[in-house]
Amino acid sequence: MTGPERRLGWVGALRVRRPRRRAAAMLAPVVYRWDLDKTYLKSDFESLAKMMRVPFERAEDKVDEPGVVALMRALRAAARAEGRRSFVYFVSASPPQIGRAIRDKLALDGVEIDGIVFKDQLQHLVRGRFRFLREQVGFKLAELLKARLAAPAGAIEYLFGDDWESDSLCYSLYADVVAGRLDHQALGDILVRLRIDPARLVEIRSLARKIPTADAVRRIFINLERRTPPGRFRSFGARLVPTFNYFQTALVLHEEGMVPLAAVVAVGHSLIDRATFTRAQLRNSLDDLVRRGHLRTHDPALRRDLEESGVLPSTAVPGWWTQRLWRRLRRRRSTPRPLPAKRPVVIDYPRLLDAWLASGGRPGEAAS
Amino acid sequence: MPVIAVDAMGGDFAPEEIVKGVAGASLATAIECVLVGDEPRIQAVLDTLSYDPSHIRIHHAADAVGMQEAPREALRAKRDASISVGAKLVAEGQADALVSAGNTGACLLACAREFRVVKGVRKPALASVYPRHVDHPGQDPLALLLDVGATVHCDAADLVQFAVMGNAWARRASKTARPKVGLLNMGAEPFRGGDVLAAAHERLAALPAIDFIGNVEGSDVAEGRADVIVCEGLLGSVVLKFIEGIAGVVNDVASYAVRQRLLWRLGMRLLSGGLREVAHLTEHAAYGGAPLLGFEQLLVKVHERSRAPAIANAVKLAAKTVRDGVVAEIAAAVQEVRA
Repeated sequence: MTGPERRLGWVGALRVRRPRRRAAAMLAPVVYRWDLDKTYLKSDFESLAKMMRVPFERAEDKVDEPGVVALMRALRAAARAEGRRSFVYFVSASPPQIGRAIRDKLALDGVEIDGIVFKDQLQHLVRGRFRFLREQVGFKLAELLKARLAAPAGAIEYLFGDDWESDSLCYSLYADVVAGRLDHQALGDILVRLRIDPARLVEIRSLARKIPTADAVRRIFINLERRTPPGRFRSFGARLVPTFNYFQTALVLHEEGMVPLAAVVAVGHSLIDRATFTRAQLRNSLDDLVRRGHLRTHDPALRRDLEESGVLPSTAVPGWWTQRLWRRLRRRRSTPRPLPAKRPVVIDYPRLLDAWLASGGRPGEAAS
Repeated sequence: MPVIAVDAMGGDFAPEEIVKGVAGASLATAIECVLVGDEPRIQAVLDTLSYDPSHIRIHHAADAVGMQEAPREALRAKRDASISVGAKLVAEGQADALVSAGNTGACLLACAREFRVVKGVRKPALASVYPRHVDHPGQDPLALLLDVGATVHCDAADLVQFAVMGNAWARRASKTARPKVGLLNMGAEPFRGGDVLAAAHERLAALPAIDFIGNVEGSDVAEGRADVIVCEGLLGSVVLKFIEGIAGVVNDVASYAVRQRLLWRLGMRLLSGGLREVAHLTEHAAYGGAPLLGFEQLLVKVHERSRAPAIANAVKLAAKTVRDGVVAEIAAAVQEVRA
């Protein structure tokens, strides 16, 4: 038994049974694209001194966001168990000079990746184009589009970012370009308004023309590391899910059919063991997600499962062991059937940009 | 960490300011708050705020008692009122204390129905801290006044119990080993104020557990002679509202002076820091509300006009009171005096 399964006990082994292999041919390859700082790493940029320290940090000095490692491992393991091809990429606006420490950190954490892209800040420094040092949308969008062209045909994607920079805007633009919901003229207008590097603008236009249209991006997760009010992301539509911790992210991915219940349990235990979360706090996180409408069902069975596996505080009388066993045998599918993709909301980019630019480009400041 | 139920629908600025206060507390502390009230309305407010969801729960209650409603009738008609549901959660042990800025009468009535009275307590008392003159370094700048509205008139035995409960609270809250206890009266002589106050004076003077300093007058309230001042609810409420009104008076005087002469305007500019300090000292938001003493469970009653900082302070006060075991200390003190 693996770690999470062992935690569930002997009866748990019955429940966390091997997910039924769906016909591999039916399962589209899945690509997980991650931001690095404040999404995977708990990077500290709050002061200049701390920012200057980042390039000199070794892998063992770097701290990951609570629960993220457990979730990333679970995503890989779930895909492998289903016979689905999966890919993990990082796109970071950090300089490539920290690349080695990051790769070592990922290796230390046991996270397998397929690629990582950093932003070459040096070229802007050399040319004296200091304005573009902090520009992220152009860089990230171009890299995402390049990566999409290299992705396997028909791949679906999940994107993970945070509320510090412009991940919500950048990922939404990417998703709509790939889905063909944003024409080239409109995209150009948006990027001009965002004052991105003109060279990047040309590159993005060219890449956008080559991209085969597909509604590939299933979900965009924004880690609310700076506790931005979640309502500020409403104008990005239901595709974008702001989450306060990776337990919430795991719950949504479980409902999407991307990870089994054992993964949610593993992330929950990781938060309890490593981030001093309590079971009551995890229950509150689950309730918050339900109230915000990001879990489509208020599933009592899921709640009971999580209670029985020690992630949520127990509320119900468990009953005879035979009843518990029967309940577990009845729950044949630990990975729920994937839900149909949500109908995407048409994002009103001009209005969103008005608010965005008026607020100085702060994430999620767009009018909801 | 204590769990604090907060009546989200009570107060002049509910639910917005109440939810905002709890959201602020969720980021600054590890206290778990249960917001009791209309769930969709509460969540709609939360959506616009920075908060930590792991420290916040919402317990739905469909009704709310309005600030102008008659408490008894309102509670009878609205079985699912947020204040009743909150009191029930505390009584059932699902939360450790209740905070409300709602209709005072309804709060007291709901608690009286749901909470258990400490054995031996005749009447619960609403206690409020207020700022006072500090005589020596290290002295607590806040004193306790009770009762400020849970009762209207009391007899001598009630006043003695208020003194015992206030003394126990002050010992824990202000860490004063032997708080000075005074009886609010119209003169310092023991026979002043009629039969009830004279009898209370006599009984308090005979209590070895209490450092009774005798009668205190209106001028002594702000002077800070006593750490705990005991009086009946009607009188206490008047004194408390008078103290709260001082900030407004200071503001009015300052505005008048500013309008009259340029020289006074300059003077006011120089004094502005000090005036702000005075206004802050008399600002109810800073003190975290009035605990209701005499029940086995705790209610912290906050001013009806409270905004987010006052609510956050009340939540912290309630959590500290639960952590310090103040209610148990009060129960022990009451038993000791009875014995």
